[in-house]
Amino acid sequence: MNRFRILSLISILIVAGLILSACAPSVEPTQAPAEEAAPVEEAAPAGEKVTVRVWTHQNDAFNEGLENLAKAYMTENPNVTINFETFDYDTYIQTLQTALPAGTEADILQMFGSWVCSYAEGGNLAEVPSDVLGLDEAEAQIFAAQLAGYVCDDKLYGLPQEFNIEYGAALVNTQIAADAGLANITDGWASWDDFIADAKQLAEVQDGVMLRAGYNFTASDAIPATFYSLILQNGGQYLTDGGFSVNTPEGMKALELMKKFVDEGLVDPVLFNDEENWVGDSFFEETSAIGLVGPWVVPEYAGDFEDVAAVTEYVTLPSLSADPVFVASSGWGLAVSTNSKAQDAAWDFVKFAALNPDNAVQWNIASGTLPALKANATGAAGEKLVAEFPYFEPFLNILEYGQNEGMFPDRDLVWYEITYPRIINFLQGNATAEETLETIEREVNESF
Amino acid sequence: MELQIEKPERGVRAFISKLGRGRDSAQRKFIFATVSPMVLYMAFWTLFPLLWGLALAFFEYSARRSGGSFLGMGGDNPFIGLGHFQDMLNFAEDAPLPIRQFHLSIKTTLLFAFLILPLNLALTLPLAVLIESIHERVKGLFRTIFFLAVLAPSVGVAIMWGYIYHPQRGLLNAVRTLIGGKLVATNWTGDQSLVVLGIPVALIAVIIAYIWQDLGYNLVIFIAALQGIPESIKDAAKIDGANWWDMFWRITIPLLLPTILLASILTMISSFQVFDIIQVMTEGGPNDQTRVLVIDIYNNAFRFQRMGWASAVSVVLFLMVFSISLIQSRLLRTEWEY
Repeated sequence: MNRFRILSLISILIVAGLILSACAPSVEPTQAPAEEAAPVEEAAPAGEKVTVRVWTHQNDAFNEGLENLAKAYMTENPNVTINFETFDYDTYIQTLQTALPAGTEADILQMFGSWVCSYAEGGNLAEVPSDVLGLDEAEAQIFAAQLAGYVCDDKLYGLPQEFNIEYGAALVNTQIAADAGLANITDGWASWDDFIADAKQLAEVQDGVMLRAGYNFTASDAIPATFYSLILQNGGQYLTDGGFSVNTPEGMKALELMKKFVDEGLVDPVLFNDEENWVGDSFFEETSAIGLVGPWVVPEYAGDFEDVAAVTEYVTLPSLSADPVFVASSGWGLAVSTNSKAQDAAWDFVKFAALNPDNAVQWNIASGTLPALKANATGAAGEKLVAEFPYFEPFLNILEYGQNEGMFPDRDLVWYEITYPRIINFLQGNATAEETLETIEREVNESF
Repeated sequence: MELQIEKPERGVRAFISKLGRGRDSAQRKFIFATVSPMVLYMAFWTLFPLLWGLALAFFEYSARRSGGSFLGMGGDNPFIGLGHFQDMLNFAEDAPLPIRQFHLSIKTTLLFAFLILPLNLALTLPLAVLIESIHERVKGLFRTIFFLAVLAPSVGVAIMWGYIYHPQRGLLNAVRTLIGGKLVATNWTGDQSLVVLGIPVALIAVIIAYIWQDLGYNLVIFIAALQGIPESIKDAAKIDGANWWDMFWRITIPLLLPTILLASILTMISSFQVFDIIQVMTEGGPNDQTRVLVIDIYNNAFRFQRMGWASAVSVVLFLMVFSISLIQSRLLRTEWEY
């Protein structure tokens, strides 16, 4: 072989190596760790060796719980190997977008409920087999607010593992409350007027500048959750067969109450919003006395803010209706790819992790999340959760009243690009209530 | 004897034969073998994505939908021709949100770029002259200090300036509180009601952070160019009675025009492509006041999976940068030689 051919061959190998290395995903492949777990045994498809790949986003608590379950499953099913690959949140969304059309995705995909139908409609997700769980059984076993995101055209495409909640109860710093003379704040409030009176006492203002918010609800999840929940509590519905509608008396009442919080001095929306003094940061830095954010935030911050976590409790918010209805998004769960060559084993593990009550509650405890299974919100499982996370109690009492946010073509667009910016604009005094409702209604309807 | 006139070679044959001119066979083969991998690499990783991105601009494409067999285009991701570009020309007040956001992004990007350029040049050029005038021993130190900011990661710079601008705990408000004797908590990057001469204060805040980081880059270029101006020209000017202003305006600036052109084009291109500093500081807010084109492209492509629309916006961005670079090179073209 002459020198030219050798050089050409080397060149081609270098280029091929570069291309192949660039094609490799930037993930952290992990095997399930050697952790203790006491799951319930489940039978698996016996016989040939099967490898199941699982993709999840990088949440240490979530993944530790799932990997514990995987280890236990593999112990009972030695022919099955489960491999995890994790991605940071933004990269995960982009990876799903590129891998699904290319058919290179994992067998099991961790999904946020609001995404499921958009991927299912693209033919990317497999329907849950009837021998795993039928739709009727799912409706009986899983909270409706969480199941809804996984049901597309009356077909089930995955199983939720958690109850995602951003309304219903608020974080309260009981030490700040006690210092302000509100030692019984954890008893709750009979009405919004009582709530406003207490929160006003907890706000701190100096030279016209708010140093501490009494009630920080002006974040990008809290504002839509509040707005749409208040519409429901006022007896309205924002999403019907006729379309999306918030320019209604119920929508107006919702906005008026939110504006009242601002006018009464509970929060300054210019200084406290998603960009500055975000509710989670602000609450644990003690620049907010009451904060509206889901219970997932406590394990995230408890490590760095032990003192604040020790005096933190959730207290149920007042309700305008007899039943404390609230809006909830479908939370994190597991789905299986249509392209998976190991669908039987994949669904078997998903069933093991999400449908078995003992395994499901084990994951909820590891991840610090509320249960998607109705059975785990009460009885021994419920007590186990409350023993582990005392602040879960107010939420467990209201989960049954959750209503799914509804099927939007793009829920993130509706929540974060339309509802939150328009309402924060209104609360900051830059638009009227009428303009705000009209704009939200028009822009959301355009997205359909 | 008849005069033989060779016809000049034209086309590909002429190009190939020129490549080999003056080189022997072994050298030509070596060049081909060593350049080919990079050409193939660039073709695959630069040219192909470029062409695919351009193609997507003519489709209503979302990665969530299963499309045709070729790269997902077609099928549920239909070909719409110039549909996206036609939508861009919808200037109605009630145009759909993505279109209004696109128009706003263009306006903000142009404002950002055309503010950055004169501010950057107005700061870096005199600073370069100043640094060039000091003692040799200290010159390098100042050059390094100013260039350090360029080396800092943009995300870190954005976080640092976020702390400076923080309404309650920021350095800027702390200084104002100290001076005024009264607590001040201006939300520099989050209060959409703050506007100066029609320019949102949030955008000004981002511009300051961007210039702070970018200053050193042009500074080093100008210092190098200043060192290239012959001393004889400066001496001749001094003999003719030129003061420091005459020296700067009539000697330095004209002789630096090619460098100013280069710096202008580079600054414009990078300011049109600004993303990370804005994404970290404001995410395009408050209320889209700092939403530039790349933020718009990112949000449409990766947050809302409107890949086709995002590709169309990318094409518009490319055309804008290309046009402005051409105009700049025409306006600042010079035939100076020294």
